[in-house]
Amino acid sequence: MSAASLAARTPGAAFMLGVLAVGFAAATPGFASLPNLVNVLLQSSVLLLIALPMTLVIMTEGLDLSVGAVLTLASVVLALVATASGSVTLAILAGLAVGFSCGAVNGWLVAGLDLPPFVATLGTLGMVQGVALAASGGQSVVGLPPTLLVWYGGHVAMLPLPIVIVALAYTAMHVLLYRTSFGSHVFALGGNREALAFAGIRYRGTLAAVYALNGLMAGFAAILFTARLDAGHPTAGIGTEFDAIAAVAVGGTSFERGNGWLPGTVLGVLTIGVLRNGLNLLAVPSSLHVACIGVLVILAFVIEGAKGTAP
Amino acid sequence: MSRALAQLLARVLAVLALCAVLALLSDVFLTRGNIVNVLRQTSLLFFLASGLTLVVLTAGLDLSVGANISLAACVAGTAMKATGEPLLGAALGLGIGAAVGLCNGLMVALLRIPSFIATYGMLWVLQGAAYAYMAGQPVYGFPRAFRLIGVGTVGGIPVPILLMAAVLALGSVFTARTIWGQQIYAIGANATAARLSGVPVKRRLILVYLLSGATTGLAALIFLARLNSAEADIGGELTLPAIAAVLIGGASLFGGVGSLFGTFIGALLLTLVLNGMNLLEVDARWQPFVTGAIILAAVWIDMRTGRMFAARAEKGG
Amino acid sequence: MRRTLLFAVLGMLAAAGTARADGETVAVFTKNQTNPFFAAERVGAERAAAAMGAHVIQYVPTKPDSIPEQLSEIDDVVVKKPSAVVFVPVDYKAMVPGVQRLNAAGIPVVNITDRSAGGDFVAFVGASDYEIAKMTARRLMHALGGKGKVIILEGVRGALTAQDRLRGFKDAIAENPGVTLVASQPGNYQRLQGMQVMENLLQAHPDVDGVLAANDAMAIGALDALADSGHSAQVIGINATREAIDAIKAGKMLASGDYNGFLQGCIGTMIALRAARHESVPKSVALPVVVVDKSNYQPYAVPVEKRACPKWEDVPQH
Repeated sequence: MSAASLAARTPGAAFMLGVLAVGFAAATPGFASLPNLVNVLLQSSVLLLIALPMTLVIMTEGLDLSVGAVLTLASVVLALVATASGSVTLAILAGLAVGFSCGAVNGWLVAGLDLPPFVATLGTLGMVQGVALAASGGQSVVGLPPTLLVWYGGHVAMLPLPIVIVALAYTAMHVLLYRTSFGSHVFALGGNREALAFAGIRYRGTLAAVYALNGLMAGFAAILFTARLDAGHPTAGIGTEFDAIAAVAVGGTSFERGNGWLPGTVLGVLTIGVLRNGLNLLAVPSSLHVACIGVLVILAFVIEGAKGTAP
Repeated sequence: MSRALAQLLARVLAVLALCAVLALLSDVFLTRGNIVNVLRQTSLLFFLASGLTLVVLTAGLDLSVGANISLAACVAGTAMKATGEPLLGAALGLGIGAAVGLCNGLMVALLRIPSFIATYGMLWVLQGAAYAYMAGQPVYGFPRAFRLIGVGTVGGIPVPILLMAAVLALGSVFTARTIWGQQIYAIGANATAARLSGVPVKRRLILVYLLSGATTGLAALIFLARLNSAEADIGGELTLPAIAAVLIGGASLFGGVGSLFGTFIGALLLTLVLNGMNLLEVDARWQPFVTGAIILAAVWIDMRTGRMFAARAEKGG
Repeated sequence: MRRTLLFAVLGMLAAAGTARADGETVAVFTKNQTNPFFAAERVGAERAAAAMGAHVIQYVPTKPDSIPEQLSEIDDVVVKKPSAVVFVPVDYKAMVPGVQRLNAAGIPVVNITDRSAGGDFVAFVGASDYEIAKMTARRLMHALGGKGKVIILEGVRGALTAQDRLRGFKDAIAENPGVTLVASQPGNYQRLQGMQVMENLLQAHPDVDGVLAANDAMAIGALDALADSGHSAQVIGINATREAIDAIKAGKMLASGDYNGFLQGCIGTMIALRAARHESVPKSVALPVVVVDKSNYQPYAVPVEKRACPKWEDVPQH
């Protein structure tokens, strides 16, 4: 098989990831070491938990701009409950409940009230952010029980716990999307909504569930996030939504046809993670980082496009 | 009365209701000074949102407007500072804004990159360029002649408000009364049908992004003149409010629906919320909450009006 | 197409990889790319390192003040193992795990500007936000003759600097029973927001006598709002940026509290390198509070790029 035909069969994000990885490995000695690769995976874990369900939201021709704020609020509540009660279990349940409730409200606004997702979640973004600021008094919540830190720093059978959690989350999402009727409804929601209604399927429930799932996963991400920070901070997760959306886009999920590709999202998150890590190791100025991410997002699409038209 | 008109009326009524509440709660709200103040603040958001409205009409989105303002303002500002030439600064600001818009248009129309991605990538590129260009330092102190477009008045009315009125009037005529305007709506409603009926879709798309870039460049100049300074992230926090203004104004991200007047109402509503919170001295922590709640309430009212109207139309009313 | 791309990217990376210099490296962490204060700090660090034969790598989050990004940058720096680190935490509490990771890697860390709530540091170099705010506010109280109506423009909610400055302002106001605080609203350290919030507040309080802005950007925004609407009030800010100094020189602005980022960058880097070379260092350097006004602005009118770091002997040691 020639190099050209191999290249044509590789997804755009995989290609970018490969090029970047080889390039960084050649350019900087620290990059290809095992500790650094684990480092990249760990850094990407929170974003992965956010970006995986975001893929589903985008497949329904929707968007969730509030997820960064939800991650923040869940983290703040988790930290508040943990410091007040001393119980990590209770705190985690509270964080998950916050994530799920916010997601359910988004689902109700979008599927129940038929509000456009972009505006609806922009509205909840502000509200959730406000609650996070008010609940924390605008300050970091610290003094967490040390057992909570295990969620980011711990290991299971030599593997760092966040990586195990992300692997489990991926497996669950993969099964949900590709092996269940829920998943096929999600696929149909993007661009084929009438057919669903015609077939007598109550798609509103599915649509609401997608947003609720997104919120719930933000709750899970908040566990790792809070453990990583050893604190709940009222603005720390702001902007995560756009990182997640960028990762989904780099991974090849289309905003227009409702074509989603879950493995692509993993590749998208890792591509952005590797890029940032490599540029840091190379000590590239921060302003160039910013520009590189932009070029990457556009290039990923151009490469996908070039593949589509390749002979 | 069409459904769109009913929704527009509902939106105007919502703004008036908000004004009534604010007038009851604060005795300075309805003073001439505050009304001028609100309109002048609205104008900044409106310029940014006006070109964006055209993009949204074609079922696209321009996420790069905030970063475009940053770069255009920084380059125009440094050029003016160095040469003292207001015209050079104005030309550079508009030129950069329009050139960025053109790039977006080419990516969307010719390379067929979804607008969300193309302009999101562009956002990062522009932001990086602005950071590198400014190296953490602001530029400030521009020629008095230039500052007039931001702080001057004609017949007692601030220049930005007059410019807003002009852009609103010209833009409304352009979108509602010209063939190009109609074609822009047609592309948003159904791009394939538009192409089949002879609309030069690619050229119109490029035009729309170019206009969005140009109004962004104009916004950058007025920002410069108002603020008398520019820094690398001057526009960074303006993108979401601008999009919110367009959507609260009744435009749909699926294209084909919306108007410049609606966007003006959207921008006015958002500005009123901030003005009201300052006048009523709402605690800083709760300000994002209030803004979010009002955005939700605004779109919900919009939705209800649309539904009510559709229901009455079905009954034959 | 793809192959060309591949080679282009590889070429760029290889070029970047070979650009490494010899000698010690100091990794300098600052909060964002837009505040001139941190730009001054970075220049100070570069100056000090160059004078000592070392060089600096700057780490700045691409999103201003992003906690996750700074944590990731620390992880990456642990892989790189620089000789020393000069560190401004984007959040004084949430960055503690990051500092502990640097500690575990055995890299000496000097904390500058915002004091971290935990972790081991060679030294702390900084000035007290609270003190600066209080002293600068007192300058305003003095100018007002201990009576009048004042407005506070707050910084970003959640930032330590904003809380401390607000506290300093309020305490100084409390010392003067004749002074009334008529409004305290957030301008998020942004000039545009400072200006618009001031415009709005002037509607309700046109008779305001003084404005306490938590940074110079908002102070200048407030000055513009005042000038545009034909009002006048005494305005103070914090940071002693070039623009504020110009305004002070022109008599438009009353005073600005000096935070001296350049000096913090200089001294922090000098201590970091001395620690890496196992030379003696002070445990803490507290820079004196200077309130810059019309009487003493001259040294601040010199651009940061043209200033020189102090000699080691002249560094105030405690």
